[in-house]
Amino acid sequence: MYNDYKDRADFLAVYIREAHPTDEWEMKKNLDENVCYAQPKTLAQRVAIANDFTQRFHFPLPLGIDAMSDLADHLYAGWPERLYVIDETGKIVYRGGLGPFNYHPNEVRAWLAHRFPAAQAKASASAPPLLASDPTTRH
Amino acid sequence: MRVLKWSLIVLVAILAIALAAGCYFMGSPRDLCGFLRFALPQWHRGDLHVGDSAPDAPLLTLDGQSTFRIRDRIGARPLVLIFGSYT
Repeated sequence: MYNDYKDRADFLAVYIREAHPTDEWEMKKNLDENVCYAQPKTLAQRVAIANDFTQRFHFPLPLGIDAMSDLADHLYAGWPERLYVIDETGKIVYRGGLGPFNYHPNEVRAWLAHRFPAAQAKASASAPPLLASDPTTRH
Repeated sequence: MRVLKWSLIVLVAILAIALAAGCYFMGSPRDLCGFLRFALPQWHRGDLHVGDSAPDAPLLTLDGQSTFRIRDRIGARPLVLIFGSYT
């Protein structure tokens, strides 16, 4: 999705507090994938984990890191994961549900396709709608 | 008395089935506990809606050296915001 629409829309990933840290709700999947981190207590720890993430997945999207006050998370109810689309006037035009159960990148893609039909036609001709390696589809 | 006994049996059976289904769906009893403790209270968190003005917040750059604001990125094109973490 990012590759299909990066020339038409801006993307910003916001790294927020961990969803499944070792000292809270660690899941078996975290152990299987060797993604084991305690909840950061300092901004430096949060920055370090965000860098580990971007380097491991060669994450191409612009990324910002939430403050230790979790202000962005609180304002947007971002935890554990959530999607929004903001239009050029600063209004929310899409608000996704609480992830992972209601995290649907396809709905964002549909909004972009509706807004940019020419780009959608090009994307459909060149690539599958969603790629497993697409960071914007990662849960 | 007999009605009470069967009511209890049915209740326990329903709870056991719900517990088993929850464990199966979440992956393990531990994950089910984590879901009930950490995720369920967040289920209806947030009061933003389509049409609301996007809130602003400062974010740190990946190098940890500077900050920018979410609304700095709003302007000429739609902005897709993706909230998440590593784990």
